[in-house]
Amino acid sequence: MNTSTTPTPIIVARNVDKRFGSFYALRNVSASFTEGQVTAIIGPSGSGKSTFLRTLNRLEKHDGGEIVIDGIELNDNLKHLDAVRREVGMVFQSFNLFSHLTILRNITLAPMRVRKMPKAEAEAKAMGLLERVGLKNQAYKYPVQLSGGQQQRVAIARALAMDPKVLLFDEPTSALDPEMVNEVLTVMRELAHTGITMLVVTHEMGFAREVADRVIFFDEGAILEDTTPQAFFTNPDHERAQAFLAQVRHGF
Amino acid sequence: MNWTKRYPGWTMFGAMVGLLIFLWGLAIPLSAAPAPIGPAAMQFAEGARITVWLTLIAGSVGVVLGVLAGMGKLSKFLPLRWVCDFYVWLIRGTPLLLQILFVWLVIPTVMPASVNLSDFACAAIALSLNIGAYNTECVRAGILAVPHGQIEAARALGLSPFQTFMDVILPQSMRVALPALANNLASLVKDSSLAYAISVVELTMVGYRVQAESYQPIPVFLTIATIYLILTTAFTTLTSALEAKLEVGQKR
Repeated sequence: MNTSTTPTPIIVARNVDKRFGSFYALRNVSASFTEGQVTAIIGPSGSGKSTFLRTLNRLEKHDGGEIVIDGIELNDNLKHLDAVRREVGMVFQSFNLFSHLTILRNITLAPMRVRKMPKAEAEAKAMGLLERVGLKNQAYKYPVQLSGGQQQRVAIARALAMDPKVLLFDEPTSALDPEMVNEVLTVMRELAHTGITMLVVTHEMGFAREVADRVIFFDEGAILEDTTPQAFFTNPDHERAQAFLAQVRHGF
Repeated sequence: MNWTKRYPGWTMFGAMVGLLIFLWGLAIPLSAAPAPIGPAAMQFAEGARITVWLTLIAGSVGVVLGVLAGMGKLSKFLPLRWVCDFYVWLIRGTPLLLQILFVWLVIPTVMPASVNLSDFACAAIALSLNIGAYNTECVRAGILAVPHGQIEAARALGLSPFQTFMDVILPQSMRVALPALANNLASLVKDSSLAYAISVVELTMVGYRVQAESYQPIPVFLTIATIYLILTTAFTTLTSALEAKLEVGQKR
């Protein structure tokens, strides 16, 4: 609820490197995120912003540096990994709903398997979450029967069902038709006010400006700017960020 | 075909019941047939039952073997991959008749004297190993067809590798593998006839015996051909109903 009085860092990344062969996707990236903070991560494609997000729940292994989530270090220890993944939810660009399961089963699967929640409780919770994202009447359909915007809202509900402390969004609106972007952003906007920590890789400059507490600008695998939306959008320090903004500004 | 798609559950149930009625009642209509079929009706019915048992046992064990070896072939653990590669290479590279004879001749010499395997058991083992090797490749193709995003979503939700496999990868891969597995099952119904070589009295063996006694091969072989056709029809109805059930949530 209150972001300014709880400055506990929940995510700490120190000198993180990530290589793909000889290509450095991330170079010496350091950043920490406090609980309840909403951070927009922006930058040109190939700048490492998605890679950074994916190292935070170890969908990508980092090659150097350290990442600590809620006091747990991310390393090859599988126990640590499981503990971290329970606390960190993720929403993907291409939704990745389980295509063989109904919407309801998509949401109840992880709470039942990972948290050992009884079926009735998991379903009640899922219905509550579906109501929150405005899709209660779609519970018994399959993902393929829903529009992209609806699927992404289900994906958000699925991530929320695990009660994560942190929610990672990897370009959540990039695969959507323009008229479906808003329904997803509306859900995310509401979430931002609930006190959950959000890291959002996005190209939606309007969203970043309006909802985020903080903007991080990536270029060539490094953080170039780390500031408030106000400062970033009005007066970025680096030429690269200025050029980027000039290119995307036509949108708003 | 449409009917099996619309009511997969009922079709499966119906095919099962039909198969059982057909098996137990086969002797009754056959006994009304003129010689040489009528007098041998009980033999035909008994042979058909043996054929169905061989198919059901080898078919089920073969699916389990196929899933295990299919997983093994995709394992990161190199020795396991070698074992599975070797298994498929060996079975696909040798004739089924030879495999049946080999199991029948070798198993009694390596087993302790107290274990007495029947001819039927030897045939079931050889057929299971055989169809298992062919199933391996179908299952492997199915697993490879599951989009990587589905696995990432499951892992990001905190599901363990085993839960991810059982809840997400396996059901989705079966959807792809099933038509090919059904194909193998249809072959198995007829391949089981090679068990005659180790004196298992299945349908084809019955045919041989009856025509040898009556010197009338044509009506005898027409009869067993008809029984084989009815059996494969029952089995393929079963698998296509299963296919319709698994196709749920798929794009058409």
